[in-house]
Amino acid sequence: MKLMIAIFAGALVGAAVSAPAGASPADGKKVFEGQKCNACHYTDGPAKEKSIADQLAKKGPELWYAGSKFQRPWLEGWLTKPEIIRSLAYNSLTDKNKGDHPKPAGADAKNVADFLMSLTTKEVKAGKIKPKRSLKGRLVFNKKMPCTGCHRSAGKKGKVSGGISGPTLIGAAKRLNPDWVFAYLNNPTFFKPFKAMPTFAGILKAKDIKNVATHVSTLK
Amino acid sequence: MMRTAKIILFAALFLPALFAANVGAAAEAEQVFKFYCAQCHGLNGKGGGPNVTKDFPVTPRDFTNTAQMNKLSDNDIRGIVMDGGPSASKSPLMPPWGKTLSDGDVDGLVKLLRKFCNCKGKPG
Repeated sequence: MKLMIAIFAGALVGAAVSAPAGASPADGKKVFEGQKCNACHYTDGPAKEKSIADQLAKKGPELWYAGSKFQRPWLEGWLTKPEIIRSLAYNSLTDKNKGDHPKPAGADAKNVADFLMSLTTKEVKAGKIKPKRSLKGRLVFNKKMPCTGCHRSAGKKGKVSGGISGPTLIGAAKRLNPDWVFAYLNNPTFFKPFKAMPTFAGILKAKDIKNVATHVSTLK
Repeated sequence: MMRTAKIILFAALFLPALFAANVGAAAEAEQVFKFYCAQCHGLNGKGGGPNVTKDFPVTPRDFTNTAQMNKLSDNDIRGIVMDGGPSASKSPLMPPWGKTLSDGDVDGLVKLLRKFCNCKGKPG
């Protein structure tokens, strides 16, 4: 009987140690709000911006579709160890990004990632883009369209080039959900009614939009 | 006398509104320029926006260059803004903004660029 009790108690302690405390979107939301993340990022969609001024008033990117945009392993890793995605401070053309994004500690990062990954939109349909090399997509991205004017990326031999006003696409293969990239290129104003990036839907052929999204899905 | 009074009344009522509308439109054009164009052309329009790093392969147009800007008509500028650099045999790094900006936005930008260059451009 003592042995049974010991095994039961051991199992309980083991469970308490291995299960992260409060691993659920609701707990993540509490952390998100408690740490005042929503002072810079809004999480209730749809998009709220009605003007350029509304966009410029934001201190950080909207996250109401974060679960459709990001890849879970990257998101949790980034929250633990944030790296600079935009060389310039958000909404600035003159100030550098100081790289001082808050870092939620340990379990909090996991919980916040749980919460953010619960924020999805039906606008992003799964399985549209299969990550693979796309020579046509690379050609459009690098030569035919102005993508490299604002986004940094690494070429075949790892040489980094490109502008800095847009978020870097170095590491996009691990960071972004390729289906989100596709949905964004097709209907950008659904996500960002006012954005400094041109709308390419209606300019690029549907095939080329798919090719570009496929190419972005390979950027390391 | 009566006619003069009517003219004065008309001017008093409508000119301030017209002036305010022009000022508003100019401010809006400036905001559009800063938001979309300054990334490459710079906040002062001289072509030195933050994207123009050492590996940027072309030099964005300096809108304060009167001689260069005088070679373009207002419609040339409209076309390049809407359809991108390749529409005028220029770099594809100049994006096509036709699906992003309204006609009013583009008209405002043309006026602002004319202010930058202090020039009227060629007719057409």
